[in-house]
Amino acid sequence: MSAFGSVAVLGLGLMGRGITQTIAQAGVPVTALEVDRARLDAGERAIGDFLAEGVRRGKVTEQQRTQVLGRIGLTTDVEHLADADLVIEAVMENREVKIDILTRVADVVGPNTVIVTNTSALSVTDLAAALPNPGRIAGLHFFNPAPLMPVVEVVAAMQSDPGVVDRLAEFVDAIGKTAVRVKDRPGFLVNRLLMPYLNDVVAELDAELATAEDIDTALKLGLGYRMGPLELLDLIGLDTHHHATGSAYRATLDPQYAPPPLLAQMVAAGYHGRKTGRGFRVGRNTKESMS
Amino acid sequence: MTDTIANPRIAPASSESTIRHVAVLGAGTMGSGIAVVAARAGWRTTLYDIDTANVERGLATARRFLAKSGELGKLTAAEAEQASARLTGASSMSALADADVVIEAVFENLDVKKSLLAELDDVIAPDALIHTNTSTLSVTSIASGSRKPERVVGTHYCNPAPLMDLVEVAVSPRTSPESLARTREFLTLAGKTSVFTKDRPGFIVNRFLIPWENNCIRALEDGAGTVESIDAAVTGALGHPMGPFRLLDIVGLDIHHQVASRLYEQLRDPRFAPPPLVDRMIAAGDLGRKTGRGFYTYGDTALFGS
Repeated sequence: MSAFGSVAVLGLGLMGRGITQTIAQAGVPVTALEVDRARLDAGERAIGDFLAEGVRRGKVTEQQRTQVLGRIGLTTDVEHLADADLVIEAVMENREVKIDILTRVADVVGPNTVIVTNTSALSVTDLAAALPNPGRIAGLHFFNPAPLMPVVEVVAAMQSDPGVVDRLAEFVDAIGKTAVRVKDRPGFLVNRLLMPYLNDVVAELDAELATAEDIDTALKLGLGYRMGPLELLDLIGLDTHHHATGSAYRATLDPQYAPPPLLAQMVAAGYHGRKTGRGFRVGRNTKESMS
Repeated sequence: MTDTIANPRIAPASSESTIRHVAVLGAGTMGSGIAVVAARAGWRTTLYDIDTANVERGLATARRFLAKSGELGKLTAAEAEQASARLTGASSMSALADADVVIEAVFENLDVKKSLLAELDDVIAPDALIHTNTSTLSVTSIASGSRKPERVVGTHYCNPAPLMDLVEVAVSPRTSPESLARTREFLTLAGKTSVFTKDRPGFIVNRFLIPWENNCIRALEDGAGTVESIDAAVTGALGHPMGPFRLLDIVGLDIHHQVASRLYEQLRDPRFAPPPLVDRMIAAGDLGRKTGRGFYTYGDTALFGS
């Protein structure tokens, strides 16, 4: 049984739609908020397509797909979120945008409604400080694609009430994921470890240790990783990684997080990975000579 | 003492290749694993070690592996038997005289490897390839032990060599393009995927694995997570087959310390230095699975965190 009876998700972008689907698939009614009808429709369509792919692969039945979609409410009106027990914010990774929408939602929901942010790069403590009753604020960091990734980081802000954090961990368990409790520090746990590794690889690629293809091959075959680091960067988006590691660097002044020059240049050139058709591996001739 | 612990049944070398005889020097874990790779690929293979007992032990390990491959259906019974028959042991260098490829996998010590290469120059054919299976030493330094450094190529196999497809290939500035080309062809025939890397400390895999593991250990020291939560986060969110602490327990904290220290000495970059927790665990004898306790405790009932 979920620790929260009804959930609101703010934003139906890549993360918001994955979170919405994950929660609806766990049997919990969820209402998604977007700024306009077109974005709501696009999000709903993407969830429908994701589930249709699941049907095709035999992971879900057509009936389950219909039921899941039936649990998802769509709205552009913040007032419609008044009855939510849990609000999950998944709008763009910008402090002012997040504080603006969270303030408006906080005005509508009850004073004890738990509000969490799915931020990966901002301080949950800083967001909580900008909102009324910060004890009910925390972070729930889902990984992309949320319906498939088994782990969710439960982030305790400085102000978070321990009881709220416990309920969130129970909620994560109830929706079939593993809750990993983390401190509100730059990168939380997973990105704290991942970002220096990715930066290190980019710096060594720039230093011509090996080709991008050979680096990926070595780490996949040598360590059994599903993806090589450069393929992974193309998937994450070089701009997204650059933003995340840049903010971790500003927060820590730890050089491991400093965006390597090659990464910054790729971003400046518009080579953001899969989404722009060119990155470290995509849009390149992979048959480059290796010696 | 006989030079060869012989088995007269020698299978013909694979038809595409001009390689007929492969010699593996050093009958430890890596050497016996690489001998399996060569014998399985169809080459007459000699496993050499100065110590006869090591030769016997290495051959037994290799033959056991091949027999197991037969039982598991990875090889047919006939293939396993033929591969086993291609394996010979030797404790005298004269048995290496007609080797086409010599793969040294002896103790990870520069002087030992250099003097071995110098000795080989007097024994093997001038055009025989010399492969050095080093993980933390410089191929360039090892190659300087040979009077013919143009034929020396670094080939770093992963453990267990018969199961892991990857071989990292590195060359010295003296290595000839022909030796590199022949090496890559040899590795392809041996069923390996080779990647080419500069001769830099750690090559590719250890270059990135060591700072990654050290960072995971530091995250544990910092209280960013527990052994269990960090392993769960890494496997769950990043899809790694094993969390960093399970992996460190398998590798052994002593081995991690040794590899990390060697890379740190060469790179002088603090990310490679083993964190203090590693020293404490080694001092306590908690080396990982082999001692029954590392980051996890290994009993016969259940696994639980330390």
